Parts: sequence; structure tokens; C-alpha cells
Amino acid sequence: MTRLVVGIINYGIGNYASLHHTLYDIGHRCRITDDPIVLKQCDILLLPGVGAFRPAMEALKARSLDDFLLQQSRGKKPILGICLGMQLLADASHEGGYTKGLGLIPGEVRPLVEPRWHIGWNTIEITQDDRLFQPSSGDSFYFNHSYTYQGPKEFQVCQASVGRTIPAVIRQGTVIGMQFHPEKSQISGRSLLKRLIEGLCHA
Amino acid sequence: MLRKRLIGVVTVKDGWAVQSMGYGRYLPLGHPEYLVENLDRWGADEILVMSIDRSVHKLGPDLSLLKRLSAMGLSTPLTYGGGIHKAEEAVAVIQSGAERICLDAVLHDDPQQAYKMAALIGAQALVGSLPLSVEAQGLCWYDYRSKTTTLLDSKHLTLFADGLISEALIIDWHHEGQQNSFNSHLISLFPHKEIPLIAFGGLSDANQLKDVLAYPQVVAAGVGNFLNYSEHAFQSLKKNLTSSVLRPAKYVGSFS
Repeated sequence: MTRLVVGIINYGIGNYASLHHTLYDIGHRCRITDDPIVLKQCDILLLPGVGAFRPAMEALKARSLDDFLLQQSRGKKPILGICLGMQLLADASHEGGYTKGLGLIPGEVRPLVEPRWHIGWNTIEITQDDRLFQPSSGDSFYFNHSYTYQGPKEFQVCQASVGRTIPAVIRQGTVIGMQFHPEKSQISGRSLLKRLIEGLCHA
Repeated sequence: MLRKRLIGVVTVKDGWAVQSMGYGRYLPLGHPEYLVENLDRWGADEILVMSIDRSVHKLGPDLSLLKRLSAMGLSTPLTYGGGIHKAEEAVAVIQSGAERICLDAVLHDDPQQAYKMAALIGAQALVGSLPLSVEAQGLCWYDYRSKTTTLLDSKHLTLFADGLISEALIIDWHHEGQQNSFNSHLISLFPHKEIPLIAFGGLSDANQLKDVLAYPQVVAAGVGNFLNYSEHAFQSLKKNLTSSVLRPAKYVGSFS
């Protein structure tokens, strides 16, 4: 197997150790950086994130990573957003006021209502024919969020049920967002990340 | 389907993992990293690390411990409690690798801090620790630093009811460390039925856990001391909990 190079975008938000460890475990190299020259050389980019939307977008803009990610997506570079990273891919968020996002997947981020948060292990169900996610349909992943993506169904690949169904995975081309934490989802997360990275990079 | 969680709890005092009995007696277990590594390997639904002496000594959160745990590359969600009093400390804990934080002393001293914390890291990342006991006057809230109790009333739960803190960790501190002794009246007497609860303290037996997890309000249960007496203790507990409310047990043999 060719060892791929995964670029974890370091914009000062979050801790990347679990992600790095998982990627190393599944056999790939990592570069954790905000340097676009290094990130351009990577086979795939990961956009993690924890906390609030606005400071995360500000951190990305301060490093000109918003423009960089837009360019990379136009060049069909695979980009995986995780948790807040998924939400950043959307057009905007209503968390703490209105804040524009990266605009890589049409839709907006709004607060969860009844329940007000989604915490714990939940199963995902595939809603579109997607060979990368099909094997994970019915598997449990760890969720921890209080805002959710709302957008056209065509970009929603998997859903989870928490009182009602909410998007668990969104996708437009080679840009994918996962609301759950695959790096904190043990076996199911590791398997999915391996399949996604290798599937997107060898496509 | 969203599952309830079985949480492995690691109590840390003076930098050592300890067994804690009734909030007063402590027996050393070793480096907390080893207990956390075991829980991660055993497929715990969540790991809760509680540094119980940080607030007493005014030390702030144990970021050094968190960074060591984070460097292990855990594949299990981690909640940390101990010494968190300010919003920037809450952010630092999350940036150091925890998914969620657990607050105790600050709920007594300066509960308004929870508003700032929720704004920065989200209410889903906040757990409020409530050591409780059933006394003659009713359900009482324990302050472990002054060793005093206060009758629990609705004003103490405003942060939870308003959605600034997502879950309440109710601890049967009297029975902590005692086998199969969790007092489920702490759940039935809890005044706000809409607040999700994590039960902890004296939970050791699968049947007892099953009864506690059957309460609709209980979203998780924590087990601490009783995971340290046998290998694969966590998986054995899960295997014996035949209810479908939990994620099925993962065995070492299943890990590639």
C-alpha cells in the first residue's frame, strides 16, 4: 500500500494528537501545519475543529487558509472536515450571530432544537448511494455538538437520529464533512477514515 | 439510535490515580495514564478523568496530565474535571485534548463562569458535577472542600435548566467505593426531570447498572474503582448488561 500524506490543517483550534495517532495507525504520514506550501503537497487535507464557529473562521482567515481551501477544492483536492470542521465547510453559521463559512458545501449551520445537543454514540444511516460510506451504514460513531448543518438533500450522504434525523455526513465532490469524531470512534472510526482517505486519493 | 454510555472513571489525586471511598479515603492505583490506556483499549464509551485536588490547592486544571493523555492518541472521548474556574481554563482543557469538561467547585463559587464557558466551547462540552445525598430535609448538594451540604433547590440547577450545562453528573458520594450501593433515590428525587443525568458512585454490579440505565433521565453511568479488580472488567460489565441501550462490548480480539 502506498503511504499517503495527510495534511492536518493547524489553525490553532483543537488538539490533533488523536487524529495523528489514528492516521499513523492506519499507515499514512501526517503533516500538521498551516503552511500552504506543505499542505499543497499533501494527498488529502483534514480540517478538524472544536469550539465555536466564529473564532474558528477568524483563525482560518488570519492565516489565509479560507482562500487556500477554496483553491484546493476547485482543484479537486480531497478535503475532510470533522465536527466543527464539517460546519466550517458550509456557507454560514448562526452560532452566536451570523458568520460566513468557507462555502464549499451549500447550506447553513443552525442550532439543534429538542434536543439541544447531540452527545454520545449514535448509528449513522446512509441516505445516498456512496461506496465510501456504505460499509459504515449502521455503525456507531461519537457525536458531540449543539449545532447542525441544514441544506439541500443532495449534499447529505448519511444521517443520524436524535429525536429527528440530522445530517451526519455531507459531501460535494471531493469535499466531505463528518459531524461525528471518527478519531474518537474507535474501530468504526478508524475503518471509515482508512476507507475515505484511500478511496478519495486513489479514485 | 443514540446509545446510553458506560463511562470509565479515573480519579486522580496528587498526580496519582486512586481509588476513592466516600470522598475521604484514597488508595493509590498508579499512573493515571495506564488506567486511561486500559479503558481506551477496552472500548469504554467515554473516559472521565477527575483531578480531585486541583481546586482545593488552587492549581487550575492539570494541563500537563491532559497533554500526556492526549499524546497517547486516545480513540475514546475524554472528559476532564478538576481545577477549572475560568472560561480560558475551559478552553485550555479542550485545546489540550479533552472533548468535554466537568465542573464542580466553580458551580458553588462563581456559576456565572459557565455562561462564558458555554459561549466559547458549547454547552455540549460542559458537564456539571453534583455530589448528592439524601438527608432528612431532602436531596442535598455536597461541597467537598468545606465538607458541607446544602439543600438542593431549583436555583442551583438554573445553569442546567437553561441549557448552559448539558448533563449533570450526580455522584452518590456517601457510597462511592462501596460495591453495589448507588442510591437510586438520587435520580427519583432529582427535581428537574428534563436534565440528562450521569450516575456515578457505588455502581459495580451489572444488574444495578441495568436498573439505573433504565431511568429515562439517565443518559450514562460511570464506574470507577470496580474496573480495577480484573482484566477486561469493562467488557465483562457490558457483556452482562444485556439491555440494548448501550453500544455492544468491543473485545480486545476485535481490535486489528
